[in-house]
Order: sequence, then C-alpha cells, then structure tokens
Amino acid sequence: MHLYDLGSVPWPDSQLTYHALPRLHREALVLLSPASPYVCIGYHQDLEKEVDVEFCRANDIPVFRREVGGGGVYLDGDQLFYQLIIHKENPLAPSDKTTFYRKFLEPPIETYREIGIPAEYKPVNDIVAKKRKISGNGAAEIGDYLILVGNLIVDFNYEMMSRVLRVPDEKFRDKVYESMRENLTTIKRELAEKPTRESLNASLARNFEKLLGPLPRAEVDEELRNEVSRLSPKFLNEEWLYKIGRPMEGRTVRIASGVDVKHLVHKAPGGLIRGDVEIADGAITSLALSGDFFFYPADKLTDLSQALVGRKEAEVEETISEFYEKHRIESPGVEPTDFAKVVVG
Amino acid sequence: MNIGEYNFPDELYYDKNHAWALVEGNAVTQGVTEFAQKISKEIVYVEVPRTGRTVEQGKTFMSMESGKWVGRIAAMVSGAITETNEELEWDVAPINEDPFGEGWLAKIEASDLGELDNLLKASDAEFQSFVESEIEKYKDILEGA
Repeated sequence: MHLYDLGSVPWPDSQLTYHALPRLHREALVLLSPASPYVCIGYHQDLEKEVDVEFCRANDIPVFRREVGGGGVYLDGDQLFYQLIIHKENPLAPSDKTTFYRKFLEPPIETYREIGIPAEYKPVNDIVAKKRKISGNGAAEIGDYLILVGNLIVDFNYEMMSRVLRVPDEKFRDKVYESMRENLTTIKRELAEKPTRESLNASLARNFEKLLGPLPRAEVDEELRNEVSRLSPKFLNEEWLYKIGRPMEGRTVRIASGVDVKHLVHKAPGGLIRGDVEIADGAITSLALSGDFFFYPADKLTDLSQALVGRKEAEVEETISEFYEKHRIESPGVEPTDFAKVVVG
Repeated sequence: MNIGEYNFPDELYYDKNHAWALVEGNAVTQGVTEFAQKISKEIVYVEVPRTGRTVEQGKTFMSMESGKWVGRIAAMVSGAITETNEELEWDVAPINEDPFGEGWLAKIEASDLGELDNLLKASDAEFQSFVESEIEKYKDILEGA
C-alpha cells in the first residue's frame, strides 16, 4: 500500500482519485484537499431532493455524486481528506462495517488528540469532540476494495452548507444552520491556534502507518492520471449526477397473447411518475397515471389518461404533446416524453 | 427454523452474504435475511438493477446503504433478472420490516439450477455454525451497543 500525499488538488481530482485507485487494483491512503469548493452527494441520494441545484448553478458551485454513502455536504479547502482504499481480502481489513469504521477512524482520532482535541469514536461512523461531530465519514465497496473517506475539519462554512441544501422554507434553513453550529465543531473553534495543514497530514500518515505498516510515498503517475481522465466523463455528466436515464422498468404481466398489464415507474427531473397500463394488440385499453410531480390544472391528469385510451403505442407521445398544448398544461421538470415512458416503456 | 433468536425459513436457500433465495421452478426470488437487516440496523437506500440484465452467481448486481456504507449485493444464481422490487428505491420500509416477504429484492430466471448446490439450507450444520459465528461477531450491534 502506498501513500499519496497530494496536498491541494483541483476539486474533481479530490473525488476521482479514490474512485480510480480501486479500478487500478491499488491499495492506497490518499491525503488531499480540494482547491475550490463543491457540493458532494451520496451514491443513492436524489440530487434535487437534497441540493438547491439552482443556487449552486447560480454561484458556480459544482455538484458531484460519489460512489460512497452518506448525505450531501459542502466541501472546501478547509477540510483535509483521508481516503483509504484497501482490498477486501487484506487481513488488516475487517469485513463488518462497525469494526471497519472503529478501526480506521482510530488514526484521525489520534491526530485530533495529538493537537489537544479530545476526540472519540461514536458508532457507527462518527468522530466527536465534547459530543460535537468533528469529522464526516462514509464507506463503499468498489469492486474488490473497501473504501473509507473522511475528513479533518479545520474550519467549516456553516452558512454555505445550510445554503446549498434543498429545504422547504427559510425558517427551516435557519434551523439547519443553528443545529449545525450546535452539533458540528471544527479545529478552529476548539483551538486558539490552528495547526498547519502539513503537520496534520504528517500526523494522519503516521497514525495510519501504525495500523497499516510503512506507507511508501507515491506520486500520481501516468496510469493513475489516465484512469482519472477515463472516469471524468462518467462522473462529471448530468446523467450520472441526476441518475436520469435509468428509469425503472417496472413489472409487466402478460395476461394473454397480445395483452399486457404493466406497472411502469419513471424518475423525471420534476418527480416520480407511475403508470398502470393495459395494452391489447398494441393499443391502450386502460391507463392510470399518478406520482409526486406538479401538474396543473391537476384535474386534467385523469383527462390525459382518458385521452390516451384507444391510442396505438406509436401515437402516445404525439397525443400527450397535443394534450399539453390544448389544455396549457404546466408540469415543471416533467415533459410529455416522460409520461410516454410510463405508458409505452 | 430459528438459529439463535433469528428466523431462517426452512424452504429457502442461503449464502454467506446473508441473502436468501426462494426457488420456484427456474424462478429464483432473492432477498436479504432478517439477520442481515438486524446487523445493518437500518437500511436507508436500495438501488435495484434493470430487468433483463444477466447476472452471475457470486457477482454483485445491486447496492444498498446503511450507516453511510454502500454495500454491494451478489446474485445467488446466474441468469436473467425478470423482475425487481423497484418500490424499494422510494420506500425502504419493507426491507426493514419484512425482509422475507414484501422486502424481496429481485427475481432471476436461473440459467443453471445446479448452482443451488453452492447454497445452503437452514438445516445444514455448516450454515448453522456460520450463523452462530456471525451472531458472536456482531454481538455488540445485535445487543444494541
């Protein structure tokens, strides 16, 4: 296993490097921080439910979906990241997640203690100091490797963190801000004098070496650079970010030859759409549309279903478009093509 | 039957990743056991695969998350996915509350039922011994520590 002590790196590299290393079958400890701020969401999260995408776009704050679990976070250069990539079969890697977190959060805990912050492990994946969180951590299995990603929080921009989140109203945002101030602390808040970034990283490396053995220093070589470049188009495009293009195909039950009953589900940017449809000899014989999207006038949704009954599958999209025009339908983030996906699949 | 205090229905097959399989002809329904749910504490997300995709026994094909950990789930048999419990992507309650029933994950049309020989039944001594060692390993979590 090697140590990549990379210092400040362009923000995409702060994520792509640890996604690339397991794909190259390399065990590593990576220490880095992003050169500019961005928002990072967990692998399974729904971007638009969690993040105020418009705010981020208007303020040139990029958003990234990682393969690691956890929630949406605002990351910047005042957070020092440790990223451990270890093979599942490595005898040093516990197979169960609690033991894994408990073991590999020991080095950052020790680093905090060395600078005078009484950090402690809090199951399952937190580090706290005086009952306040002082490090965020998440994990994933990527191929045959276990990944731990976490940070030492030198300083934290509470205001931006509360600003980038999607919240129902400003009162709720204020509550989020106050709660974070109360429950999340930083090195800057705990100590009169901030240690240097170099000394913190040196301490992290030393404490991880106590668990992992000597970690020879490595540089980002051509193979790693190429893998990061290869992953960039996948991880930095909107399809991955929104996880669109993977509508769930739902269930289809063949009732008889030529007669299918389908339950189709599609995640449009504006919300989830469900369609329960019966199709006989290529024509729709019954249809019910539902979901959690905004559709105005609301009573026209039933009429849209009725308008499609009797239509051939090939006519569906055009019929929906005509209906939209005729009834001046407004459905932000849901297009006629989205409805077509839950009618004809 | 119960192993410790955990239920493992006799009619199902099991693997050592805490998954179960119900075999009906060539149709294999796969899920995670009650024990898996207990040691995960609360499963917060499930990502199901697309129907039609082919999978290979022992290779991962879907993911779930608990404790900020994204874990991968391996297919119990090789074959084609014919149906998935896609509602779990929007509501994970069934997998936490009814992992042997409403919380099923995927249905696979098995391409080789001979692979069932690689799986275990609750009555197998090897499986009972495995579960007992897992109960010991996860004692702290199971006791709510």
